[in-house]
Amino acid sequence: MHYDPILAWQSMPDLLAGTATTFAVLLPVLVLGLMLALPIALARLETGPRAKAAAGYIAFFRGVPSLVLLYLVYSGLPQLSIVRDTFLWTFFSNAYFCAWVGLTLTHSGYMAEIIRGGLAAVPTGVIEASTALGLTPRQTLFRLRLPMAARYVLKAYQNELLIMVKSTSAVSAITLVDLTAAANTVFDYTYDPFTPLVTAAAIYWCIVNLMRTGFTLADRKLNRHLART
Amino acid sequence: MPQMGFVEQLGIGALMTIQVAVLSYLLALAIGTVFALATLKRRLPVDIIWQTYASIFTGVPSLLVAFLFYYAGSGMIASLFSLVGLSVTVDVSPFAAAVAALGMVYGAYLADIIRSAIQNVPPGQFEAARVLLVPRPTAWLFVILPQVLRLALPAMTNMWIVVLKDTALISLIGLKEIMAYAKLASGVTKEPFIYYMLASVFFLGMTALTYVVSQRIEQWTQRGYRPVAAKERAHAL
Repeated sequence: MHYDPILAWQSMPDLLAGTATTFAVLLPVLVLGLMLALPIALARLETGPRAKAAAGYIAFFRGVPSLVLLYLVYSGLPQLSIVRDTFLWTFFSNAYFCAWVGLTLTHSGYMAEIIRGGLAAVPTGVIEASTALGLTPRQTLFRLRLPMAARYVLKAYQNELLIMVKSTSAVSAITLVDLTAAANTVFDYTYDPFTPLVTAAAIYWCIVNLMRTGFTLADRKLNRHLART
Repeated sequence: MPQMGFVEQLGIGALMTIQVAVLSYLLALAIGTVFALATLKRRLPVDIIWQTYASIFTGVPSLLVAFLFYYAGSGMIASLFSLVGLSVTVDVSPFAAAVAALGMVYGAYLADIIRSAIQNVPPGQFEAARVLLVPRPTAWLFVILPQVLRLALPAMTNMWIVVLKDTALISLIGLKEIMAYAKLASGVTKEPFIYYMLASVFFLGMTALTYVVSQRIEQWTQRGYRPVAAKERAHAL
């Protein structure tokens, strides 16, 4: 068992194509998940039936593994004729679309809980002051509560983002050739499992640590008022 | 409608999932505890090993680690033993690969949780135990451990759910657990929606069960922090 640098170099184009797929899955999921999570987090902070529905949404999508959701969307939904026989089929027959839907649902569940925590941590005095100054609730939300919450939840968001990067390896189950699947393909051709898998691991490691560094820099910039002097 | 035979198989798969998850979690707990205790005092050689370990296993998807252990595991073990001049051939089963991968990945996370819990036990507790001449093992077991549990339990519960859910992912290396059987059943019956829904009901049920059990344990670990006297009802002024 030894690491073969030549094979690693030769398989680099395949692995980088896999990395591109990983990002093609990841980036829309991050954007869509965030957009979906915000109204759910706001509903969760209310009282009444909408809060209950939001709590149910969060509990369901945080409790079910992303692989189950991917299978449900990719092979489960086409069983329903409303998906198979209408225009929806053009979307749901696409593996990328299914990966986006499945992972977005998981991501939005976690993000809703994170945003809720951040919004709940904003001091009530800030909201009262902005109301007293005549800001509309919308202005209060976008100008004050969310920017403050973003600073509070930076660490939690970093964790969730890194988990999402690693979760994308599940999309190989629904035929997409992401970085993990690309490494497996190289293994299939060469019968050398060690080299491609370790190389893929190294690429994941670089992605994750680049993101960590980015978050450390963002934290330093956004939370500089909290830095110890 | 789901057929009973396939549901039964799903049940067998669910037991496998629980087995893998429990064993992985115990392995992670062991690795986490060892690293947490070893890195309590900062010593350079231990620190380097720990940093490398944590960096690798928290920077790589657990699925990839499982693939690596499953496909390259026997080779890695063989070359490890050939260093000391032994020739050993071991077959790595999907089960062993899954448990090893999940245990080693989540051991890195648990080590952080456990270490910070130990560090958050008030130093007075350590000092008091030493002053009272409580033997070190007894002090760790009966003074520090219960307090560590109280501090670490919420995060440890979360980690358990993560491990359980990751077990589903690990099925991709060929483990015969609930997802594998759900896939098999949906292939045969052409009714994937039902079987994957059953699988998600299983995971939701396990999550709910976890919350019930963890509430109980949390209450037990917080027994020293509850007021002994019955709480008086707040009366309206």
